[in-house]
Amino acid sequence: MNALFPSPAAGQFGRRQRRERGARIPVTVVTGFLGAGKTTLLRHFLATPEGHGTALIVNEFGAVGIDDVLLRPSADETVLLGNGCLCCNTRSDLQNALRRLVAERERGQIPDFCRIVIETSGLADPSPILQTFATDRALGAEFHVEVVLTAIDAANGKATLDWSAEARKQAILADRLVVTKSDIAGEAATAGLIVHLRELNPRAAIDVAVNGALDPRQMVEPNDALHGERLGFIAEAAHSDGIGSFVITDTAPMAWNAFARAMETLMALRGPDLLRVKGLLNVEGCRGPVVVQFVQHLAHPPVELETWPDENRESRVVFITRNIAEQAVKDLFAAVRGLRASS
Amino acid sequence: MASVNSPLGPKASEATSWNFKLLAQHQLDGFGGMGEGMSVQIAKDGRRIIWLAHESAPKNFTAVDVSDPRKPKVVVQTDLPQSFMRSNSLELTGDIMAVAYQTQKVGQKPAGFELFDVSVPEKPKSISFTDCSGANSRGVHALWFCDGQYVHMASGAPDFKPTHPLDDQFYRCFDVRNPSKPVEAGRWWMPGTREGDSAKPPARHKLDKGYRAHNTNVYPQRPDRLYLTYIDGGMYIMDIADKSKPKPVSHWTNSPPYTGFMHTAMPLFDRNLMIVTDESTENNALDWPKLIWILDAREEKNLMPIATCPMPPVDAFSSRGGRFGAHNIHENAKLPTAWQSDEIVIGTFFNGGLRAYDISNAYQPKEVAAFVPPPPAGTPAGAVQLNDVFVDERRIVYTVDRHTGGLYILEMDF
Repeated sequence: MNALFPSPAAGQFGRRQRRERGARIPVTVVTGFLGAGKTTLLRHFLATPEGHGTALIVNEFGAVGIDDVLLRPSADETVLLGNGCLCCNTRSDLQNALRRLVAERERGQIPDFCRIVIETSGLADPSPILQTFATDRALGAEFHVEVVLTAIDAANGKATLDWSAEARKQAILADRLVVTKSDIAGEAATAGLIVHLRELNPRAAIDVAVNGALDPRQMVEPNDALHGERLGFIAEAAHSDGIGSFVITDTAPMAWNAFARAMETLMALRGPDLLRVKGLLNVEGCRGPVVVQFVQHLAHPPVELETWPDENRESRVVFITRNIAEQAVKDLFAAVRGLRASS
Repeated sequence: MASVNSPLGPKASEATSWNFKLLAQHQLDGFGGMGEGMSVQIAKDGRRIIWLAHESAPKNFTAVDVSDPRKPKVVVQTDLPQSFMRSNSLELTGDIMAVAYQTQKVGQKPAGFELFDVSVPEKPKSISFTDCSGANSRGVHALWFCDGQYVHMASGAPDFKPTHPLDDQFYRCFDVRNPSKPVEAGRWWMPGTREGDSAKPPARHKLDKGYRAHNTNVYPQRPDRLYLTYIDGGMYIMDIADKSKPKPVSHWTNSPPYTGFMHTAMPLFDRNLMIVTDESTENNALDWPKLIWILDAREEKNLMPIATCPMPPVDAFSSRGGRFGAHNIHENAKLPTAWQSDEIVIGTFFNGGLRAYDISNAYQPKEVAAFVPPPPAGTPAGAVQLNDVFVDERRIVYTVDRHTGGLYILEMDF
């Protein structure tokens, strides 16, 4: 199709975008352990001007949809998913709910929402939710996960993180960590939790909610860790679960084919252990940076941005993996690059 | 899964903003009924001025300083000499502005077009007025002026007697290289619309909006081509290599079965595509669907419609008040102050607001942004009636309401 009507303004990945989500509907995924204060955060957010036009999807782990009752009056749309956890048996419910929201919006049957917030059940592992948007191409074309936000209770959070692998995974995969109930826990406990969270997830922005309230922009604006200085301070974060994060950088422009082949190999051999991979690439022949994103064995379509966010032209890719050594990944990329160069 | 609710009720969805950010609205000092002429000038002192045509008397045109798009300021607002006149269209190149004058009835004066020197925006100075009035003429409805040399227009003439009173405006081109003495360089009308033509007059359409010229776009990239829409007569690509003898290259119409009033034909030269719009003219969507069409123009002699831009549901808009359907688009005029895009089409849809489409895949245009403001204060239509749109090279979007809302300034947020 584009071969018939190519635009000289387009890049090799299609129309260049001003930002990664392009025109897609932004999605905020709110996770957090049971009692972490997710519902309170959402109620505050929905009452702000920034919360206007939000369609809310609530996943309840229990027979009675209490959160739904609490939130329904303030959201533009509320969809309650059935009994069960989003990461398990109700994932297709999420897909159906999202499709239905789009269809009903297009038919003019529901208000014209401009954002989706998914409140997961306390036990949910966020990765399958992220996968949903990569596996379902129709949904991926309509929605973009802008923020994964995890709420952690300052009073009980440390203990929860110690005993619960699910809670740790929620914290590690988040773009933003929000510490709640600091007024109850006190300054020392809050500060201690923040240090612990920083160790668990050095990429994430950490905010403290005051009396349940958070700057509403933090609910909707992406945390561009790849653009900011935070990247420079990332050390390998290893955890008892074998989950670690590291960054691969490269100053020379990459050949897209070489990068794609390396990632294909990695996904084929270790897909389940690639929890989240996200990066900005300086691709040969591209004017702007190319945003790449992978969840386990799934790749999101690459997006070329119109401009670089800053002066830094390095390729930089963050890997959150389980039991994959940083050096092995670096070696793989070097090998693929070497083969290409000698061929 | 529980059912989806609409807690805000049906009215709540009427105002919407999706991937457009409203920066400011200006009701233009109580004269916010705007036509379809919008042009941006960078004044000598560096100010950015948008010149706006009004839908009808008493105002002629308004200039607004939009250097800071969040704080628009009216610079000048002028009056028409007669209440039966309207100056629905204007275009500006450099510091020279062409303004169209149309009258309510044939035979009224003044009717024609006027050139202004707007080098001092506060004090527009008339350079010349060209009379196009006549016993069978209402003057000029729309004009095009982006090369500083020729003004192309839909106009009547004193020596033109149409075969049907609705067919009075045809294509005329004036050489304005000497702006104080415009000279007619050429003209063309659809065969059968002038008395004395050998061709038979065309069959009338059901809504019968007339066989006359509307948009007369000529782009510096192809100075030998005119992209002419002819209302109920569809559209023509014209060869104007010899301006004194315009010749049809091809013709395309969608009506019938559609309901006529073809409005704009915009070529996307680098992609071999054309974007063609209809205009909705009837209240309550009685002429639905009025669409933006995508045409395969690889063979300019065989234009082929391949897609239309998806419209919001008619049921949600038909009873809001006023018109619902396509009208103007940002036309990529080759000017330093006009945004150029062959991947995004932005158009106005009256009560359907302002909508942007990604046409990267020409076969599947996709809506990527929409802006439907609430009914502006004092509007008789009951709903907004967004009429025209212009995008400057900063990607700032200007759109106007047809009745009272004046100017809305937006940022593309996609």
